[in-house]
Amino acid sequence: MPGLPQPLMPEWVNTNMGGATAALDYDAELMLRVKDGDGASFAALLEKHRPPLVHFLYRMVQDGAVAEELAQEAFLRVYRSRGTYEPTAKFTTWLFRIATHLALNALRDGRNERNQERLDERSGDMPAVQVEDRRPSVEQSMVRQATLDEVRRAVAALPDKQRAAVLMHKYREMEYTQIAKVLNCSESAVKSLLFRAYETLRARLAHMA
Amino acid sequence: MRCPLETREDREILVAYSAGTLNAGDTEPLEAHVQSCATCREFVRGQRVVWEALDGWEGPPVTADFDRRLLARIEQEVSWWPRMRSRLGPLLIHRALPVTAVAALVVGGVLLERPSPLRVPPSPAVVQADGLQPDQVVRALDEMDVLNQFNHSMKAAAAQPKM
Repeated sequence: MPGLPQPLMPEWVNTNMGGATAALDYDAELMLRVKDGDGASFAALLEKHRPPLVHFLYRMVQDGAVAEELAQEAFLRVYRSRGTYEPTAKFTTWLFRIATHLALNALRDGRNERNQERLDERSGDMPAVQVEDRRPSVEQSMVRQATLDEVRRAVAALPDKQRAAVLMHKYREMEYTQIAKVLNCSESAVKSLLFRAYETLRARLAHMA
Repeated sequence: MRCPLETREDREILVAYSAGTLNAGDTEPLEAHVQSCATCREFVRGQRVVWEALDGWEGPPVTADFDRRLLARIEQEVSWWPRMRSRLGPLLIHRALPVTAVAALVVGGVLLERPSPLRVPPSPAVVQADGLQPDQVVRALDEMDVLNQFNHSMKAAAAQPKM
């Protein structure tokens, strides 16, 4: 989005709130400005979190269109909630909590059924492969595509919560405590979810070594 | 060092080690252990395979009109109430209010005038709890009076030339 304000502060800043110094992440600062009616701050949040959120949702539901629809709904809910927003947690925790909730509901509703059916059929329309300058041979491309399909299948086969935990841990590099807050469970439950998920993935992808 | 795979609490340290996210203080002793423990070595090897496989799975590019679609949805939502109010507001004031007042008068009149031949006269004990009480009628008439006054003032305001 053109003309958006660039972040003026580092990710974490110390903000004096009513005499007490509280650590407040910059995203939460932006969200507080949105609460005060600043549309540019919402655009800045959107600019920053749009790609990671869509990618997270895409890996959750494995359908590009559904992922964008869910991301739109997540941002819409953030905007709707601006009036009552309180920075009690990291902004990303809140955002991913909304998104995960939407994704789990979508998966539960069976909205991804068509995607699951197509998973075995399609491979060419997935924009996952980055085109490199050195053009790979047809054979290399096919091998790579087959590998990616296998990874996608392995991730899709994980139980929903395990999948969400792995995606946040691997791609968002979230800490256990943050994942726990997003999934509304204990930190030890997250560790258990992750361990079981990686155990399954190791078993399914071991032959790739 | 005790094998991390022996206890549930410690095993995720191997996941962090495999991902390269373990702090330096914990990495050194674990590295020494992994070199001597075949089970942990196999775990780390398998975990790194998973890690690399997941690395190759990139997200799709977000469609160009994502923001435009989102902002259109927000705008639609934000402007829903003012648009509805601006469209229905005059209608509500100029049409609905007089109609409501007239309807209330008619209903009140019917209630007051309606004979009740089939009703058995209530016993003195229940007379206060049953039927329309005089104070209720007075209050309803008062409310209708207020509505009429409001209606008159609205009409007067509407009749005044606008600046």
